[in-house]
Amino acid sequence: MTKLNKLPAPTFGWLGVNFAERKISDNTAEPVSISEGQTVRTDITADARYELTAQENKELTVIMYITGEDKRIDISAKAESGAKLTLVQVFDKGAFTASALSAEIGDSAQLSLVQLYIGGADTVSEIAPVLSGYGSTFKADIGYLLDGDSRLDINLAADHRGRKSTSEINVSGVLADISEKTFKGTIDFKNGASGAKGAEKEDVLLLGEKVRNKSVPLILCAEEDVEGSHGASIGRINDEHIFYMQSRGIPEDKIYELTARSKTDRIIKLIGDEETVSRINKSLGRSDDDE
Amino acid sequence: MKEKTQVSDIDRSLYDFRYEEDERDYLGSGITPEIIKEISEEKNDPEWMREFRLKSLEIYNKTPMVDWGPSIEELDVDNIVTYIRQKSRMNTDWNDVPDDIKDTFERLGIPQAERESLAGVGAQYDSELVYHNVRKEVAQSGVVYTDLESAMHDERYADMIKEHFMKLVPPTDHKFAALHGAVWSGGSFVYVPAGVHLDIPLQSYFRLNAKGAGQFEHTLIILEENSYLHFIEGCSAPKYYEAGLHAGCVELFVGKGASLRYSTIENWSKNMYNLNTKRAIVSEGGKIEWVSGSFGSHVSYLYPMSILNGKGARAEFTGITFAGEGQNLDTGAKIVHNAPDTSSYMNTKSISKSGGISTFRSSVTVNEKAVGSKSSVSCESLMLDKISRSDTIPAMDIRTDKCDIGHEAKIGRISDEAVFYLMSRGLSEEEAKAMIVRGFADNVSKELPLEYAVEMNNLIGLEMKGSIG
Amino acid sequence: MSELLRIEDLTAGAADKELLHGVTLSIGTGQTHVLMGPNGAGKSTLGCTLMGSPEYTITGGRIFFEGEDITDEPADKRAKRGIFLSFQNPIEIAGISLSEFLRNALEQITGKRMKLWDFKKKLKAAMELLEMDTAYADRDLNVGFSGGEKKKAEILQLLVLEPKLAILDETDSGLDVDAVKTVSKGIDEYKNRTGGSLLVITHNTKILEALNVDRTHILSAGKIAAEGGAELVDEVISGGFEKYIVGK
Repeated sequence: MTKLNKLPAPTFGWLGVNFAERKISDNTAEPVSISEGQTVRTDITADARYELTAQENKELTVIMYITGEDKRIDISAKAESGAKLTLVQVFDKGAFTASALSAEIGDSAQLSLVQLYIGGADTVSEIAPVLSGYGSTFKADIGYLLDGDSRLDINLAADHRGRKSTSEINVSGVLADISEKTFKGTIDFKNGASGAKGAEKEDVLLLGEKVRNKSVPLILCAEEDVEGSHGASIGRINDEHIFYMQSRGIPEDKIYELTARSKTDRIIKLIGDEETVSRINKSLGRSDDDE
Repeated sequence: MKEKTQVSDIDRSLYDFRYEEDERDYLGSGITPEIIKEISEEKNDPEWMREFRLKSLEIYNKTPMVDWGPSIEELDVDNIVTYIRQKSRMNTDWNDVPDDIKDTFERLGIPQAERESLAGVGAQYDSELVYHNVRKEVAQSGVVYTDLESAMHDERYADMIKEHFMKLVPPTDHKFAALHGAVWSGGSFVYVPAGVHLDIPLQSYFRLNAKGAGQFEHTLIILEENSYLHFIEGCSAPKYYEAGLHAGCVELFVGKGASLRYSTIENWSKNMYNLNTKRAIVSEGGKIEWVSGSFGSHVSYLYPMSILNGKGARAEFTGITFAGEGQNLDTGAKIVHNAPDTSSYMNTKSISKSGGISTFRSSVTVNEKAVGSKSSVSCESLMLDKISRSDTIPAMDIRTDKCDIGHEAKIGRISDEAVFYLMSRGLSEEEAKAMIVRGFADNVSKELPLEYAVEMNNLIGLEMKGSIG
Repeated sequence: MSELLRIEDLTAGAADKELLHGVTLSIGTGQTHVLMGPNGAGKSTLGCTLMGSPEYTITGGRIFFEGEDITDEPADKRAKRGIFLSFQNPIEIAGISLSEFLRNALEQITGKRMKLWDFKKKLKAAMELLEMDTAYADRDLNVGFSGGEKKKAEILQLLVLEPKLAILDETDSGLDVDAVKTVSKGIDEYKNRTGGSLLVITHNTKILEALNVDRTHILSAGKIAAEGGAELVDEVISGGFEKYIVGK
């Protein structure tokens, strides 16, 4: 067993959030480098390794559609100064997946990460961007839709080292049936990262008596001149919301349906790429034009 | 304007006064079954307690140190005198308290506070209760407020204590709970009968004085149905140079519809390891309110836990932590929702300065049974310079969909605009900053009785001195 | 004129406290009624109770709509019957756009899904009437809307959903003169186009200027203290509530 997704600052052991222990085998894939082209689509169904580089002042978008057997995915990404790297990852059902993303973001560079997790037997996902450059930016938009006995463990740690670096992390999702999710999100302001800002939000809709949700939003801070915030909201839709929507004629089950959909629609809208969106809709059993 | 924050040491002499020890008896350092037996003998423990102590020592020896939180490597428990017998015995009248001790308390303002509004004072000097007095009307209402050792030997309470003692915080909970079980000494026992509503707060001061002394007081409070109590625990300790340890234990049993407010201002001297365990269990419709200010100690691990065990039970936690030079204060709260329609509310502030480290750590657990529960957590941190550190480590574990859980946290510094605004009205920069910090801390100060709020504001003023270079 | 809404001896409250102590009131089809009263009289309680808010519990009396007893019906059923409440403090709903929300509501109420194009046209026309930036249609419902924009969004929903009875709970409060004019224009449009009934809860006359008030009710301490025609509104505005306050 290997300890994955280690919480940067461990807490009470009995909560079981300090790490995710799994049996993993070596990643057998040869590394694939992507540094050219504007939008690159790739399908991942087995072990994979990627080295992504957005070159100085250039833009690169990589879209990964992940399905298939037990696998490990290791990605090291780099946004050189002034570059904009967008990484879209759709984890669509499939088996055990251990994913690890490390990234380095240079001066005035940006990494945008868009992730959607749909079901899945067991996914352990590590996200470790280092905001080393002056004015570097990390944006993460993460959505999940878990049902059955799906398990998801996400460990995101935004490491602020550069001055005026900014991170913005938005997570929203739905847990149904007996699914289980742990989201650990850390904003880590290192000494010297003056003028840095970090904001993190998680919004979880629970739709099942036996779901299990763990949320662990950390802020670590060794710098005075920073602004950090996090917020989390977990549970059902509150009574006031329900009454308001009901008073316009929408029955309760429809209210839940609409709200649940809104959690993933946000991510789907961000993906934009028609081919990918169409695949997602197919997987979710929705028609492309649901108008 | 930004880089000026240069920090100088704070004059704590106002709070760090201490008298020379004289003929007090030390039982020697280190903990062996012999020591435990000696303590037990000295205290004339009932048989079950003697066994409990020995069993706890076994657990202590088997339990590993915590593997998270601030380092306690420098703490050598074996070298800390685990028990100091106080030369004076129980006193019922303030006039009989020895002069040096009295003077120390006088400087802390205890008798005055008592005259003004307090019901009773149970002050612990080193390990023994030296002064104890409950106002007549409190006693007449049926409220019992005494030291735990006496109560254990009183046939009216003996069974009650056996039934509750370390049931909420078992020695197996963690290493220092086990140590406490083995060497505990002194502390308070409060029993509030059903329906009794005590309007005036009960208060207890604990102090550490002897070099290398450990303090292991135990507080046991039982509230019967529909009763109300406000208990105030205040701590302050003078300066000395060997590592000191405080591993007290607080167990609170809140009955149906009862309400307990437990307020603490901790101001241990800055070489103390404060490894205190506090826990409350709340029955149907009951309420626990914690008000907690942590200013002193070298290292603190402090997370009062509320177990909401009855339908509609409620918990509120309001706290402030101020970590200055050489301090690593890891504080917060734990809430367990164990029954339907329970609710919890947590509001904390922390301040880091002069290289101090403050960590807010919390857990909110909502179990399957806790349908219809609500929880709201809000924590805010203030960094006063570039050499300090402030971490926020909350966790939520939710196991039912029928709940409403909210959490928010913020970290930042004093805004230059706010300082400028106050300075434009004639305040000095230091006054302006102190005022802003006091305002930041008002979640706690407005929950405290007036004389405590004043003391806390003075403490903040003292800590803020020398913050401008 | 047939009777649209009848409230019979309604008592209701929140958290063990009774706020309405036996209110009886009737509104005919196409009529405009005004409900006035001092702060804390129970006006909003009555409005919310008519809509079926779970915040308030009905402890006695009945509510009939078009002759049918709706006392125990949930809010969505009432909405389908044609009751609409313009909230005093509309809720912000993140993640769902105003247009998406309204299209779903319309589908639920009418039982059929309007073609996207037709819906957008209808929405756009209503937004233009209310002088709303059409970009609001794609924004999350009420999220980050100013107080005035929220009130306009309520009237926008009124225009799209076209209910039989609209309860306007202080729709004019907190609005500047121009915004009151715009909102009034929306209310007139609703009235002229659908001939629906109105129950207007208000403190002032501005919003009533273009309306033909059929009846005025003064609510005080949870009871109807006085009733009259349109003239009562002016009496209250000039003379205050003093003489209607129960116990004086």
